[in-house]
Amino acid sequence: MAKPTEVRTMSEAGSTYIDAFPAEAKVVRAAFYSSFLALAIGGLFGVVQTLHRTDVYRFMDSADYYTVLTAHGVLLAITFTIFFLVGVFTWAITTSLDRGVEDIRFTWAWYGLMVLGTALVAIPIFAGFTDSIDMSASVLFTFYAPLQAHPLFYLGLVLFVVGTWLAGVDWFRSWLAWKAENPDERIPLPTFMVLTTTLMWYIATLGVAIAILAFLLPWSLGLIDSVNPLLTRTLFWFFGHPVVYFWLMPAYMMWYIMLPKVSGGKLFSDPLARVVFVLFLILSVPTGIHHQYLDPGIAEGFKFIAMTNTMFLLLPSLLTAFTVVASMEHGARQRGGEGYFGWLKALPWRDPVFTGMALAGLMFAAAGFSGMINAGMNINYLVHNTFWVVGHFHLTVGTAVALTFMAVTYWFLPQVTGRALWNRSVALVQVVLWFVGMTFMSNAMHRAGLLGVPRRTAEPQYDGFEFEAAVGSVGELNAQIALGGILLTLSLALFFANVVGTAFNGKSDSLPANGYAETLSGSEDAPLVLDNLKLWTAIAVVLVIFAYTFPILSIVDRGGLFGPDVNPFPVSLDTLPVLGLVLEQYVTTALATAGELTGSIVTEVTP
Amino acid sequence: MNIHTYEKLWLVAAMVLIVGFIATITYGSVGLGITMVGDQQPTIEPSEISDDERFGEPRVEHVGENEYEAYVVAQTFAFSPDPIEVPANSEVTFYVTARDVIHSFSVAGTNINTMVIPGEIAEMTVEFDEPGEYGIVCNEYCGSGHHDMEGMLHVVPEDEFDMTELSVDADDELELGDEAAFNVSVENRMLDDLETTATLEIGDEMLEEELTVAGGDLEETTFTVDTTDLGEGEHDWTVAIDNYEESGTLTVVEELETDDENEDDDGDNGSDGDDDENDDGETDGGEDDE
Amino acid sequence: MRISKGALLVVLAFTVPLIVELRTVLVWVNIDLSVLESAALGLVIVGLVVVWAFLPEREDDRQERDDDQTDGDVPNGN
Repeated sequence: MAKPTEVRTMSEAGSTYIDAFPAEAKVVRAAFYSSFLALAIGGLFGVVQTLHRTDVYRFMDSADYYTVLTAHGVLLAITFTIFFLVGVFTWAITTSLDRGVEDIRFTWAWYGLMVLGTALVAIPIFAGFTDSIDMSASVLFTFYAPLQAHPLFYLGLVLFVVGTWLAGVDWFRSWLAWKAENPDERIPLPTFMVLTTTLMWYIATLGVAIAILAFLLPWSLGLIDSVNPLLTRTLFWFFGHPVVYFWLMPAYMMWYIMLPKVSGGKLFSDPLARVVFVLFLILSVPTGIHHQYLDPGIAEGFKFIAMTNTMFLLLPSLLTAFTVVASMEHGARQRGGEGYFGWLKALPWRDPVFTGMALAGLMFAAAGFSGMINAGMNINYLVHNTFWVVGHFHLTVGTAVALTFMAVTYWFLPQVTGRALWNRSVALVQVVLWFVGMTFMSNAMHRAGLLGVPRRTAEPQYDGFEFEAAVGSVGELNAQIALGGILLTLSLALFFANVVGTAFNGKSDSLPANGYAETLSGSEDAPLVLDNLKLWTAIAVVLVIFAYTFPILSIVDRGGLFGPDVNPFPVSLDTLPVLGLVLEQYVTTALATAGELTGSIVTEVTP
Repeated sequence: MNIHTYEKLWLVAAMVLIVGFIATITYGSVGLGITMVGDQQPTIEPSEISDDERFGEPRVEHVGENEYEAYVVAQTFAFSPDPIEVPANSEVTFYVTARDVIHSFSVAGTNINTMVIPGEIAEMTVEFDEPGEYGIVCNEYCGSGHHDMEGMLHVVPEDEFDMTELSVDADDELELGDEAAFNVSVENRMLDDLETTATLEIGDEMLEEELTVAGGDLEETTFTVDTTDLGEGEHDWTVAIDNYEESGTLTVVEELETDDENEDDDGDNGSDGDDDENDDGETDGGEDDE
Repeated sequence: MRISKGALLVVLAFTVPLIVELRTVLVWVNIDLSVLESAALGLVIVGLVVVWAFLPEREDDRQERDDDQTDGDVPNGN
């Protein structure tokens, strides 16, 4: 049954990805370039914000800060990350199954839909900079109602997400077709990772789909009068937390299948890697309420359940830390490293792909610690919505994910372009500079958050009081943030120099072959049940129902499906509220039935 | 499944860590009584906040010995009341709601921090041991003026704290020979009785009266002064109790004209329809008193 | 060289958070450093690391450094 995984899945020794899959390489390349464009604009907006907030250099009106912030959040957290990961996932599926996509037109279609969605989202955001267009969407990445964006913003988000859903369909199609031809084989590890992550994404995006399609989009079009702010906010976080794993999983995948390879060794354990991804599938979604520890209207008990799930999510990350370090050590020892710590010297520190990923992993460990603070229900009160949180996620998505993506880009670019990397030394300096810049910025953000400096504020300087630093001063923290922001911008400039330089490089015949790491303990050691995706999806769904049904029922029961009379916005038509009432009854019944169902499932399960 | 020994140890250590975290937080909640913002409070229609018993008039209330309740409304881009004043060594329960969009109520550098969602009321109980001054910020983006949304929380020393309100109703202008009446009302919004002395200073005269205002009650008293004793001219007066003062100017004239409207000055005067014959002295009337 | 140039770069990067937070740690033992003193101390530390890295190798170290020239290149063909 189990096929030894020592056999590396690869089309042909010595051939690059573009040699093996020329059509797919074009899509992957397009996805990467889209992602880099978002990174460039979003990154530029990032440095504008650091300089504005810290009052180092302000050239725009503070009201525009929020437009910049919205663009920064959406372009980096959604566009940059997701475009990159659909590229990586497509590469992973085709490479590990050793087959092209089933229909390249379909692949281009979902890519096109994602581009269209992004454009629709960007139009109202950027229109916010000018008064001449009566359109805006300065609602930030979280778009909490009753703040209202232009309908295009919501519509664009929907199309973008639908694009990712179709991408998932594409990957599943490939896998099912492969499975029909190889019925007895284990799912190759990269494909397994893609499939579990995609399943998690399908469950997670239901929240935001309902929030937008049932409430926010009709509301912005004037079809319904009002929304329940707590309900749409809860649905947002239903999606908003797992989306971070959607960014993180591809980075994890790179740490599992690329880092051991560039370290010169093998992945420590295939079975444990599968366990980790299954845990993420199961536990990512029923945790979103931990972003709402401070929300009135959600009972403490529901928050406690979310916290417990969140804490257990530490487990897959801690397992990853072990496996990744163990794989690196194995690689280093293969390269002749010796001693308890001496092996560290034998790692390929000159390789930007390795060094970038290693530094990203290191910073992710730091992010894990601040994340544990955030997850603690009571201690969270000190840091909730302060600059601390911004420091935290600039370590996670801003470094663990972004730096890993940039580092592996140096490996991927030659694979998808057939051109050698423009300059490896520049690449090395770039990843190190990102680490240094982020150290300054993120550390100072954490420190400022402890003083109570709020996040998402154009001018955290107040008339009535000043923030007091225990050590140093707020001015020093601001200087560190500005310095960090500038270093990060320099790092980005070097990154783009390399991307552009590579694009204009000549075709090279001496590129490394496409492939990924072999394993020490292969899939033959992994219990078959791990590959039972239906089982894990069912468990994930049950956990989500368990964690969310009662909070959502309670929120709807308290505030109504369409909320209290909160809208300061001009709205129309008299027949619509009636329609709303009917819909409200219908949905409440549906939710109640779902609640009862969960109840019965739970009783069945309990002996 | 083949798991390396070290990895098993690591797995166990990770589980211990996780269970440890959950246990400490459970202990904090159950053992130390650290409560979270939850769903204790009913919902509220944001459009009806102005008529609400608690939030119609945002304020601090004294509800028990060293126990206070603060009703706070957040809206773009201000908190009310501002500043919020409470005594040290007290237990204050904050009830916070929003009139328009989602805000937060966050006391800088402390763990007093809650989201404020329209339609919902956040409840938080806080113990203040020491006096101090804190800034309140809104840390949830609420619109283009979000960065201007701030407030202050004053925790004043216990012995300097009261919830007394003084108001004085007095005449502006009288004819020589009339009786000047100063109607003083003292409201005590604390639960304890307030024992105090009200004083009136006018010209060279100084009147005093002992007052006892029951908790949550309002007492009124009247000082009367014969204008003959004051003589013609401008007379500044001051009514004081504890730290509160109310002052104004009384003009005594020989004879009032009947067709003029009176002019207001800082004293709360009635609509007696007094005449003003000699109003030139009004601006410089300060010196001859005290 | 005691370590490869790539490794030296990473070691120097890694000293940054240590230097930045050293000041906070020292406050616990009642040593207050100004920003300037802190920066000077940082430079000294960086200098020491660089000097150490460029010291001639000891005999027993030499073997480990054989792969110095090929760091990251050969085993995975990068």
